[in-house]
Amino acid sequence: MKNRILIVEDDEGIASAVALNMQFVGYDYALFDDGRRAAESLSADHAYDLALLDIMLPGMDGFELFGYMEKYSIPVIYMTAKTDSASEIKGLRDGAEDYIVKPFDMLTLMVRIEKVLRRTGKLNTVYRVRDVEVNSETRSVTKAGAPVELQPMEFDVLLLLLKYKNLTVSREQFLSEVWGTDFMGETRAIDMKIAGLRKKLDLADVIRSIPKRGYRLEDR
Amino acid sequence: MKLWQKASLLCAGVLLVVVAACSGVLLRYAQGTILDLARTQTEEKLRTLTTSFTEMTNYYLLDSDPASVRESLVRYCFERLGDAASVLMRDGETICTHLTFSPAEYFPEEELADDPPVLSVRNGDDRLLVTGGRVLAGGDTYAVYTVQDVSGVYRSVRTMTGVFALISLAGIALGTLLITLLLRRGTRPMARLAAAARRIAGGDYGFRAEVSGHDEVGALAADFNTMAAAVQSRVDALTDTARRQELFIGGVTHEFKTPLASMLLHTQLLRSANMSPEETDRSLARIEDQCRWLERMTQTLLKLLTLRQDVPVRPVPAAELADQVRDSAEPRLAALGVTLHTDHDGGTLCVNPELMRSLLVNLVDNAAKSYDPGTPDAAVWLTVRDGVIEVLDRGRGIPPEALPHIFEPFFMADKSRSRKLGGSGLGLALVKAIADAHGAKLEVTSAPGAGTTVRVTLKLQDDYNELIDSPPDPVAQ
Repeated sequence: MKNRILIVEDDEGIASAVALNMQFVGYDYALFDDGRRAAESLSADHAYDLALLDIMLPGMDGFELFGYMEKYSIPVIYMTAKTDSASEIKGLRDGAEDYIVKPFDMLTLMVRIEKVLRRTGKLNTVYRVRDVEVNSETRSVTKAGAPVELQPMEFDVLLLLLKYKNLTVSREQFLSEVWGTDFMGETRAIDMKIAGLRKKLDLADVIRSIPKRGYRLEDR
Repeated sequence: MKLWQKASLLCAGVLLVVVAACSGVLLRYAQGTILDLARTQTEEKLRTLTTSFTEMTNYYLLDSDPASVRESLVRYCFERLGDAASVLMRDGETICTHLTFSPAEYFPEEELADDPPVLSVRNGDDRLLVTGGRVLAGGDTYAVYTVQDVSGVYRSVRTMTGVFALISLAGIALGTLLITLLLRRGTRPMARLAAAARRIAGGDYGFRAEVSGHDEVGALAADFNTMAAAVQSRVDALTDTARRQELFIGGVTHEFKTPLASMLLHTQLLRSANMSPEETDRSLARIEDQCRWLERMTQTLLKLLTLRQDVPVRPVPAAELADQVRDSAEPRLAALGVTLHTDHDGGTLCVNPELMRSLLVNLVDNAAKSYDPGTPDAAVWLTVRDGVIEVLDRGRGIPPEALPHIFEPFFMADKSRSRKLGGSGLGLALVKAIADAHGAKLEVTSAPGAGTTVRVTLKLQDDYNELIDSPPDPVAQ
């Protein structure tokens, strides 16, 4: 079951980039460029796990739109160019889950989305790639229905690749997420875990090496 | 200490001094008058006594009488005529007296004259008037004294002084009370004015003092209100300027951050995602668009920020201006499928040619964008006549509620449409700034669905003469 995200953003450039990213990592999404139209659409369809709202929107601003989100218990992350602390405080006091200021990193947005989904218990815990199924909750992996034994670190590396499906996960990211920030070892440790995963799960062509940067799990 | 308290104290002091002085003078005068009367009486008494004594002794005394008889007779006569305060003396010897002292102590016999003075003397606790005269009786010269006790007068005056003091104090107290009440009443408008001043100083700039009466305080309150109004209007103007600057900076921030955010996200996608060639192409095109848009907005913003209030102007033929606008706007109009019609009266305009061209190109561009794509016979008319420039279209028009805001920076009546057409939200703000720099009037009439007319009315030609004659600005050249 994929997580479904509502995006309300009037700038086409930002909207398309965020949407593309959602698509890559495996979220479903609906996109609106007008606050009022987004609010009106909710009565027919409000099965969203999260809403990403711009604040300065045509039709109806993000703060007003928040009221509609509350009605359907959709958690909200604001993404806006407004940087004054007054609007930030207003956004959070109203009950928004988070607040991200433009321009922002895609990775930051992804992390915040995951955090909110985890907090609200909506986070999808089952990832699939080909015939491999990974459950992040039970930390179990099956291939074609049969359980596969992975080392804990192999599992963490795999989970990170799945979370950022279709996006390059850098070596630095691996080190900080899997090994912890104080790890001073060689990045060759990563290559060893990747090699293990490729072999055990037969994902050699899916987990791609991106020269000088890291690895990417490609699935589209 | 409050003003009314000070004034009350001062008044009380003055009152005390004046009343005390007046009472003193009055009492002294009364005492003097009574003493004068007593003195006259004493003189009168002496005169009567001496006259009667002389007559009586002359009548009774005979030259043949022996000295002892004569003395008895003299004593008898004096006792009959005189009273307890009369003294008869001869050669320093008291012959007849009822007093416990000798008046000769104060008034020696030798000094007695025909018209003797009345002396005022103090004997113990008593205050006395003493006078005396010489009398010839039976061949001997006698001294006759009359003494009057005036202690009662002094006692009365002392009593009166006490009474006067009491009455005066009561009067002063009453007077002070009245003055205090009057002063408090009189200074109450001042207190109200002070309260008003404090309230205004506290930030309630709309508050005004109550103007009561036509006296100085009333005038002060009126002047104070005038000052408060001036302060309020200045504060309002400053607040308005600050608010507009804040909005402008907010707008700039938003307008810059949005394309930057978009570019950043697309760049990150391009770097890390396995995008299809089409997706890659679309992302790159998106970034290119945003770059161009940022460039355009930066240019406009720079023009807007560096525009000064008095731009150098020179006479420009209307035909030249119209042609320049046509050259600049034509390619874009052609792309939008809109025709430009220009018309002019062949006159000359006193303008800054570059800025005025920028203004008109902006207006023409906006007018062209008011047509939906593919509208048949879409056209924009630019006419220059008698110092009035008009840009007219038959496009969609401006909604009435948006009309008052169209010249505000970053205001867009239809934001998403404006964005698609590459609008920065600064075009009309620049138009307004250029018009202001020329001292020109901007008027917009618009009806939704029927089109829009923007009229730029330049200042009268006469006003420009001095500008034309003045040397050109070296910086602007």
